[in-house]
Amino acid sequence: MSAIDEIGTVAETPVPGGQQQRLWTSLTASTSGTVGLTLSVLMLAIIVLGPFLAPYSPTQIGLGMPNDAPSWSHVFGTDELGRDILSRFLSGGGSVLLVPLLAVTLATLVGGGLGVLGGYASVQSRLRWLDQLISSVFDLTLALPPLLLALVLIAGFGTSHMTMIFAVALIFAPRTGRILRGATQAVVTSDYITAAQARGEGLPYILVRELLPNIATTVIAEFTLRMTWAVIFVAALSFLGLGAQPPSSDWGLMVAQARSFITVSPLAVLAPATGIAVLSVSLNLVADALSQHLDPASRRKGATV
Amino acid sequence: MGAWTTMDEQRTEATDLPNPLGQDADALRISGLTLAYRTPDNRLNEVVRGVDLTLRRGEILGLVGESGCGKSTTALAAIGFRSADIRVLGGEALLGADDLLSMPREALRAIWGKRVAFVAQQAGLALNASLPIGRLLADPIQKHLGLTGEVLRRYQIELLRRVEIRDPEQALAKFVFQFSGGQQQRLAIAIALSCRPEILVLDEPTTGLDATTQAHISALLVTLVREGGVSVIYVSHDLALLHDIADRIAVMYAGEIVEIGDADDIVTAPRHPYTRALMMAAPSIRTPGMVAGIPGRPPLSTVRGGCGFAPRCRYVLDACTRQDVALLARGGHPVRCLRATELPPGAPGLAPLESVPVGDVVLKVSDLVCQYSKWMTPTVRGVSLEVRHGETIGIIGESGSGKSTFLRGIAGLLPPTSGRVEFRGKPLAGSVADRHRAERRDLQLIFQNPDSSLNPRQTVGAILKRPIRLFRGRLDHAQEHALLERLLDDVQLPRAVLHRYPAELSGGQKQRIAIARAFAADPAVLLCDEITSALDVSVQASILEILVRLSHERGVATIFVSHDLAVVRMLAATTLVMRNGALVEAGPTAELFRSPHHDYTRTLLAAVHDLPRGALPQP
Repeated sequence: MSAIDEIGTVAETPVPGGQQQRLWTSLTASTSGTVGLTLSVLMLAIIVLGPFLAPYSPTQIGLGMPNDAPSWSHVFGTDELGRDILSRFLSGGGSVLLVPLLAVTLATLVGGGLGVLGGYASVQSRLRWLDQLISSVFDLTLALPPLLLALVLIAGFGTSHMTMIFAVALIFAPRTGRILRGATQAVVTSDYITAAQARGEGLPYILVRELLPNIATTVIAEFTLRMTWAVIFVAALSFLGLGAQPPSSDWGLMVAQARSFITVSPLAVLAPATGIAVLSVSLNLVADALSQHLDPASRRKGATV
Repeated sequence: MGAWTTMDEQRTEATDLPNPLGQDADALRISGLTLAYRTPDNRLNEVVRGVDLTLRRGEILGLVGESGCGKSTTALAAIGFRSADIRVLGGEALLGADDLLSMPREALRAIWGKRVAFVAQQAGLALNASLPIGRLLADPIQKHLGLTGEVLRRYQIELLRRVEIRDPEQALAKFVFQFSGGQQQRLAIAIALSCRPEILVLDEPTTGLDATTQAHISALLVTLVREGGVSVIYVSHDLALLHDIADRIAVMYAGEIVEIGDADDIVTAPRHPYTRALMMAAPSIRTPGMVAGIPGRPPLSTVRGGCGFAPRCRYVLDACTRQDVALLARGGHPVRCLRATELPPGAPGLAPLESVPVGDVVLKVSDLVCQYSKWMTPTVRGVSLEVRHGETIGIIGESGSGKSTFLRGIAGLLPPTSGRVEFRGKPLAGSVADRHRAERRDLQLIFQNPDSSLNPRQTVGAILKRPIRLFRGRLDHAQEHALLERLLDDVQLPRAVLHRYPAELSGGQKQRIAIARAFAADPAVLLCDEITSALDVSVQASILEILVRLSHERGVATIFVSHDLAVVRMLAATTLVMRNGALVEAGPTAELFRSPHHDYTRTLLAAVHDLPRGALPQP
């Protein structure tokens, strides 16, 4: 009897349009989300396609007069060695995006993975020691000043993209780990986890299939936000001479090298600096829109209950 | 008759006019109250329509109905309070000559707390956690009574003494979280009564508390309001409780009053099919019987052009869906039903319980001791039980008695410190991780709260498939699908729910999925942990119907943990009483409830509110 009566109420609710579609609509729902998304795509296009569009080689010196003003042959002008600034700008964004991307991915996998494990272990009486161990490692790493840590690693292993990636990952891993540990603790006491344990599910199944989907939203938001910081941090390392080395056209390095000539050839500083800023801000806007979407309070509105 | 009236009679009845001689007989007169919620897309959804209620001076008026029937909204709006998304579409609520509905917020502030007070369901959330009790209690007294200094302090202490808070002097400096749930509710009551209000609105003040605490608090409330001459609107979903404490009861459905009258009349001679259905959904201790759920769900808004209850009504006629039904006396107390006079007289009865054939012992637990940490006293201290094939064992006790932990110990989720769990004569490993797959299959848990026990990121299909794949051996796609459909049929859900996420289902539907998941494993023993405590009485009844039918069909043994004695009386052949982790008393349920040996069992039984029952209804 009740089955018949309840069919109506069930069937009326719309079939969920899949996680992706809802994510997309809520990202573009707000102005800041749309702006962030547009700018992110634009920056991505510049960074990925730029090297192929560059009119000259980014490292070729003496293409024009040193510190020449913008002209038809050199749209952004030339720098102190007569290199084409537009070409350098178009081909210099790669490491500013790629190094943070790889570093944050590594940090999320290792740090986040440990954090989730720790969060799960923290409520199991028999595994509590594991959480204490992981948390101590996090605390220890967090105690080291980020820039100093990067400096030591780079001094020890030399300047390479690899070193940078590892340094940034090492700095971010405990921070990401802590956030995800907290997110895990919030859901791990749910009865569906207990139900999975009662079925005798293994640890990997419980963590990956039962738990992860419920903190996926936090993971995504955390990843995007961490990216914006990593972009700035990597650019700062390059600026300090700890990252890319001359004659690379890396944006951070470009700003560092051309800053003495800022009055003569301002675009040599402004173009890469703007690139870094826009990339970071747009990622930040996307992160904001994401966390808004992922916030259960704001999501309820769309839910059919 | 009384101050309740139908709309037609209202103008003529003398009791409705303010009494020119002496005090007004009515504390609050609500008429034509119509309210709507503003939906997120800015439409108005009418949820309360044309409610006429008169609260007489010094009486307790009960408002009863399922969740979503508009009872809390009505009670709150009646004292002028409404949340930001509610609109008053019409009506008035007269406190003396003042209309609380049209009064500006500023003017209401002078009335709230002084002439009209409110106690919310969860005092722990309603009271500011960062202020000491003294401050919380001082605010209204200073504002409305103007007491200060030593006088204020003495007044506060006296108030706390009246609500039976121990050490009132010390309590003033404590914070809300330092009190138990029952004590918090006492504090909330003290604050509400502090300025000697004329009207007190109670919104499910004891729901969520233990039965014994609930009994203490409702007894205290009745004493206090009777002494103080306060008029009370008591909102509750518990008809039996209201019958015991209220003078009159108004039954609400779909935002309208469907029946109103003296508490005894409502319960001994219910005249609306909805009231009768509510009574048949409530299990009973004195006259145990099988409950009957109310099919379907209450509508989310008021219903126009027909009776709102018609889709769920067993007495429905064509005429019921064609016109609005008026609230008319029709030779008894007012009722909103065309067939009021044709309904069987007296209280409805419950169907007799079926006796179940009982087989061999399936599960034997001996001297189980469970503790959460080596340094803490054990939560379960040596409890034993035996449950047979097809048998249901009830475990009752207050919260904190260790009954849920006992279940976790049996399930191997909290490996016992000592004691044995034997399944069909073979000892089971302490931890679930060390048990064989077949052993894990045989013991299935159902949890209290389906919101928490179903993974919100998995579809119902995925949730049900997992135990099938783990425990039912190799099935091909068609077999698996057939099994899924049979499981859904068993719990009376449409197949469409397979592709739904839990958030898209109602609480009752979710709990059915949880039951289906347990049966998907084809278990021998079901461990049920308060599985109906979070549900409305009508939903509880349908869940219990399903559980009883399935466990009888499958011959499953059930251990049913609950603080609701009436539910256990209905389900269990044998009952265990637990207190502080130990067994207090055990025995055949009927005998145990009839002549309990232990004082604690007597206390538990005394706290139960029960409804009078009559003969079985003839459909």
